[in-house]
Amino acid sequence: MHRLGQLESAIMERMWSRPGPAAVRDILEDIQRNRDIAYMTVKTVMDTLHRKGLLDREPDGRAFRYRPTQTREQYAAAHMQEVLAGGSDRTATLLHFLEQIPADEVAQLRAVLDRAEQDKTQASK
Amino acid sequence: MIGALLLIAYAVAAAGAAPLLRKGTWAERSPKVGIIVWQSLSVTVIASVVLAGVMLAVPAMPFTMTLADFLRACVTVLQEQYSTPGGAVVTTAGAFTAAAVMARTGYCLFSEFISARKAHRSQSRSLALLGRRDPSGRFLIVEHQTAAAYCLPGRNNEIVLTSAALGALDEDQRTAVIAHEKAHLRARHHIIVAVAEAIHRAFPRVPAFSIAHSEIARLIEMDADDRAARSNARLTVATAMVRLAEAGPAPSAALGAGGTSALARVRRLATPSAPLGTLHAFLAVSAATVMLVLPLAVAVAPAASTAYAQTCPTGFPAST
Repeated sequence: MHRLGQLESAIMERMWSRPGPAAVRDILEDIQRNRDIAYMTVKTVMDTLHRKGLLDREPDGRAFRYRPTQTREQYAAAHMQEVLAGGSDRTATLLHFLEQIPADEVAQLRAVLDRAEQDKTQASK
Repeated sequence: MIGALLLIAYAVAAAGAAPLLRKGTWAERSPKVGIIVWQSLSVTVIASVVLAGVMLAVPAMPFTMTLADFLRACVTVLQEQYSTPGGAVVTTAGAFTAAAVMARTGYCLFSEFISARKAHRSQSRSLALLGRRDPSGRFLIVEHQTAAAYCLPGRNNEIVLTSAALGALDEDQRTAVIAHEKAHLRARHHIIVAVAEAIHRAFPRVPAFSIAHSEIARLIEMDADDRAARSNARLTVATAMVRLAEAGPAPSAALGAGGTSALARVRRLATPSAPLGTLHAFLAVSAATVMLVLPLAVAVAPAASTAYAQTCPTGFPAST
């Protein structure tokens, strides 16, 4: 993962764990506990996150207060929906271990496997 | 003219052979050979049509030694071609066909890769925010109650398992799933699928391409299963599949009548049939090679024969 991606994820992690909106300075102080980082760097990345639709912001004096547009759970759910939507109509982006399978076929899969395991234990007796 | 007609007849025959080729289990027994054959079939159909168009548009040029001779010959041949109204129509139709097929194929390949790149970017951004690395460093974990395992090919080649998938698998099964995904990444299966998909999208009405696409999608999974089964027990790979299927998502939409390839995959992992013998594999690969070479050979034959005629003085009037 590249450095910018790491910073984005560090900022989103903090935004998601906060109960309410936060200013750039709040996040900056939080991150500075672990490493040295400039105000402008954090501000730039937070502006980017706002532009990408991950953060909402409203003016607060001369600065902005930011809040996540979605909770972490909502974001994860939307992401996984996109991942799973591929189904059998796959694109080249993701290669799934398994496509989505109807329930009756899952039962068939289980039956084939059980029979093979039975044969194996019988053969080894 | 005859060469072009032969090529078109050949393209129709090759495309018509696709439904027959799908029957039987030969490809399942050696998925890698199967992938090569299906790729060659798609390429040979497209190449034949393009080259047939080119042959109609560009009449066989006599092979000459000097540029002056060549240009004179060109003018003569083209004059002949356009002197009859039929000749002009045939030439235009040929040129149009060749250009249209090439442009359509190229455009669809291009747009397929653009959209894949876009989707890849959005996927890897989300993963950067959501994924946490497994302590072993082999894969990323995303918290989610649906079991899923997949890979995101690209510069980073990430393998992703949801937390539910991790819960459904024991250590051995997990290793088998990762080996399967690693096989996809190593064999660059995403490119093979992308090309097949692009060709299918370019000419959606050609059944041969839609069959090739679905067969290739099925065969890359079997190839990855086989590679995973080299370092894991076959039954472990099969068990991992069944467990993930049981914990996996119910399909949101009805699937095609053909069902999924999962059943065939589990069957061949549970009770493997012998891979194609050396002779059969050799025959299949030879057929693929012939399919790749034949269209070009037919197209070049007239030019080559004039070259032959000129280098052998017999039967060719001396130019002096």
